[in-house]
Amino acid sequence: MRLSIKNQIQPTASGPLLTAIGLLSAAIIAFQLALMQVFSIVQWYHFAYMVISVALLGFGAAGTFLSLFQNWLTARYRQVLPALCFLTAAGMALAVGASQLEPVRFDLFLLFSDASHGWRLLVTYLLFFLPFFTGALAIGLTFVMYAGQIGKIYFSNLLGSGTGGVLALVLMGWFLPNEMPALLAVLPLLAGLVILPKKNWKLPLLASLSAVAIAVAMFSPPRLHPSEFKDLSKTLLLPDAEIFTEKSSPYGLMQAVRSPVLRHAPGLSLNYTGPVPMRPVIFNNGNWDGPIVPKPRDGEPMELNYSTAALPYVIRQPASVLIPGAGTGEAVAHALARNAGKVVAVEPNAVLVSLLSDELAAENDSLFHHPSLEVHCLEPRTWLMEDPRRYDLIVLPGVGSFGGSSGVNAIREQFAMTREAFTGMWNHLAPDGLLAVTCWMDYPVRNPLKLLATLAEVLEQKTTGDLTAHIAAVRSWGTITFVVKKSPLTAEEVERIRKFCEEMSFDPAILPGLQPAERQQFNQFQDSLFFKNIDALLSPDRDSLYRSYAFNIRPATDQRPFFSQFLRWKNLPQLAEWTGSQSVPFLELGYLVVVFTLVQIAVVALVLIILPLFKIGFRNGGRWWVVLYFGGIGLGYMFLEMVFIQQFILFFGNPIHATAAVITGLLVSSGAGSYFSERLSFQPKKLMTVPLLIAGLVVVFAFALSPILQATIGLPMAVKILLLAGLIFPLGFLMGIPFPAGLSMVAKHQQKATPWAWAVNGFFSVISTALATIVAVEMGFSWALLLAAAGYAVTAGAVRLARF
Amino acid sequence: MFYRIILFIAVFLLKCEISNAQYPRQDERNQMVSAQIEARGVTDAATLKAMRTVPRHLFVPSNEASRAYYDSPLPIGYGQTISQPYIVAYMTEVIQPKENFKVLEIGTGSGYQAAVLAEIVDKVYTIEIVKELGGQATSRLKTLGYSNVEVKIADGYHGWPEHGPFDAIVVTAAAEFIPPPLIEQLAEGGKMVIPVGSPFMVQTLMLVEKKNGKARSRSLFPVRFVPFTRQ
Repeated sequence: MRLSIKNQIQPTASGPLLTAIGLLSAAIIAFQLALMQVFSIVQWYHFAYMVISVALLGFGAAGTFLSLFQNWLTARYRQVLPALCFLTAAGMALAVGASQLEPVRFDLFLLFSDASHGWRLLVTYLLFFLPFFTGALAIGLTFVMYAGQIGKIYFSNLLGSGTGGVLALVLMGWFLPNEMPALLAVLPLLAGLVILPKKNWKLPLLASLSAVAIAVAMFSPPRLHPSEFKDLSKTLLLPDAEIFTEKSSPYGLMQAVRSPVLRHAPGLSLNYTGPVPMRPVIFNNGNWDGPIVPKPRDGEPMELNYSTAALPYVIRQPASVLIPGAGTGEAVAHALARNAGKVVAVEPNAVLVSLLSDELAAENDSLFHHPSLEVHCLEPRTWLMEDPRRYDLIVLPGVGSFGGSSGVNAIREQFAMTREAFTGMWNHLAPDGLLAVTCWMDYPVRNPLKLLATLAEVLEQKTTGDLTAHIAAVRSWGTITFVVKKSPLTAEEVERIRKFCEEMSFDPAILPGLQPAERQQFNQFQDSLFFKNIDALLSPDRDSLYRSYAFNIRPATDQRPFFSQFLRWKNLPQLAEWTGSQSVPFLELGYLVVVFTLVQIAVVALVLIILPLFKIGFRNGGRWWVVLYFGGIGLGYMFLEMVFIQQFILFFGNPIHATAAVITGLLVSSGAGSYFSERLSFQPKKLMTVPLLIAGLVVVFAFALSPILQATIGLPMAVKILLLAGLIFPLGFLMGIPFPAGLSMVAKHQQKATPWAWAVNGFFSVISTALATIVAVEMGFSWALLLAAAGYAVTAGAVRLARF
Repeated sequence: MFYRIILFIAVFLLKCEISNAQYPRQDERNQMVSAQIEARGVTDAATLKAMRTVPRHLFVPSNEASRAYYDSPLPIGYGQTISQPYIVAYMTEVIQPKENFKVLEIGTGSGYQAAVLAEIVDKVYTIEIVKELGGQATSRLKTLGYSNVEVKIADGYHGWPEHGPFDAIVVTAAAEFIPPPLIEQLAEGGKMVIPVGSPFMVQTLMLVEKKNGKARSRSLFPVRFVPFTRQ
């Protein structure tokens, strides 16, 4: 039997309907991105991840609801669809404000000590679940009603989603995060108005109420209440503290704060007796980003000279300094204060650079306009691949934070901290050049050991003979600075380091010819194993320490660029025993939240996938193939999207551009594929051809993408965009076909299961976002890509189980 | 003699009763000291006595009072926490407080650490930068009769030079640098203790000792994490 999607008898999807679906889809994606920022401000990035993942269950839940009430909903389709659009608009406009009310407001840090925050979390979930649920229900209902023209509807859905992503990124540069939801709520309102049926007085009333909700939220935007444990909240409690500059952008909400008691001198020597300077500070989404440091004046000492960060300048006077990840410019000012002839600062956050160069120029005495300074807005890795120069000194940004960071960065990709990144920097050193990185001491010790492991592996690869001749480390009461030198350290340099330690009451931790007694002369460290572990990492047998240490201190790689992820699951019970069960979550918060998220959504998804089967039947026509077919698509698509975004960050040198380009490229090309699918006629058993083709292509990508991108990274931007289109479009086009084709097939043969199939796809898509992160952390990006291929292979295989 | 002993016991029991009436939940405090503090190796008698005496539940917000004697830090508002009982005891023990000591505390918070110190030493000077917390702690310490504690709402960076040098300095809030004026106000042979770490994690401590005019640091890990390697 041949099935032509065109031939099914269905109402025709009109232009206004397609427009409405596009608007609604755009609003949902844009709202999701806006919420990411809102939650990152009031809580932390990983909390945003958790709430939005749960809220996105609204998609699957809408499918479940549709399965259960399909007849009722389809009979009133013309009224229900605009009503759902208006409810989505109102929900989007009001959810953020409602979540910030005192009885509801949730704090992640209090979740483990105050039971009421468990309930608050549930209410928060519900508040944000609702607009996603109503929005998704509208889209799902349309899929069911127009199953014969699913290609067009899906095209509109994907095109709208792609446009919504870009729209959100653009609007973030113009509006504050608390203003965004109301603004985006206009889109579903418009969607409802476009398809408003005539002679119905209830719907205009609902539209008016939604419009009022939007107007209220627009003209009186909800006040965001950041957690009292956030850096910004604590700083604003200082006397006369004020936010004097604020700038919203896709990079985050940047706020400059000053207070007469806000001082900055990280890891200052205990011998320092002078005044500690007051510095305004920049916060990004409420998190400490860095101090605003003025241009150094001649002869004026800088506080960093009294910290271990001065070590590379003690070893050699550099003529040229590269600062990858310049941040707010502290290391830049330090290099200029140490009379570096040429300083090159590379910072991917273009908005931060613009703030420091323009609006805050008076605050930093035009530091960023210093004649010896060259500033570039790009990912440092990308910049290095394009830059042929060699530097006397490369200073990496500081690692960790004072007292540890509660594991908040555990799932953040840090491409600048991988073994490949360090190797790249080594290649850009002059013959006697130095690479320096300062790290806060943490306990249990994790950051310094992983950093040293990375440096040791690079040294082993790049040097011949004794690698310890090339490395020095100096420790203060709170920081440790590692310096590696391309040529062996000379006796004179070693002596200068010893003198510096004596003057500042620092202790050498690694130095050629170091005696054990020298390591704890001024700053005793109770954990004697620390020094033993340092020595082990510098020996050829470091692998045994990697295996035996309680935390993951193996260097991060481009495949697994999660430098701040230290958790080893098998040691979790032991860790709980050591630190107390209440402390464990804060040791690895970022990663544990992802796992917690996965468990939550998997449980809910399982229940909601099974529930409709009681109505539509467990065996009717075979159900397994639907789960495998649509689950495979959900998993494959999301895994692929996530890995592509990561891979293209380095390629474009900018995370925002990469995200926008990949999402837009994939969704638009999939939309085109979906539109095209309407012209195709499938034999049911041939439904497996396209997923198999996709799986094959993804396997090729798993092995070829990285080399292709690395070989072409130096090309002009226009060519890179064309290359991205060339790589993504064919694959995206194919990826747009299996979903509408499969759904049409279900509609044709198992009509009742159509919304259920959609629900399955929705659930697996959400599960995949959390699962993809865990796979990337534990196994690497290549495995994530191979699993994406496996997802599509399962989709192809599922067709064989179908009983057509 | 026998009657004197009986009388002494009677007076002692009466005192205990008064003490219990004044500061209820004595059993919980005793349990806290034996299970959380002594069990982890704190042995200083004065410190243990102070921990048994100070009514911790009166130093936490009313909604946290039921958890006051739990083995964990608790939020007290304004992004601050009252440290885990064990950490308070350890920080007290580590400065080896004597009756004639003059101690400076930076970061009054709820006033609990100041009250524990005040049970042992002659005079406690404590500085809080958050006006509201400082105000609450002042009235709480006054109500509980801690007349040897003086609270100032100010920037702790400058210390309290009028009353220096101090035999010990207790910094309750972690900072990315140690203010030079505090090192200057530390008496010769004095000890300064500073917690390091996120407030919700088991904290490690840093001890700064001043000898021959020069400060040296020692990292202390009150909770035994080691060994971190598996053999």
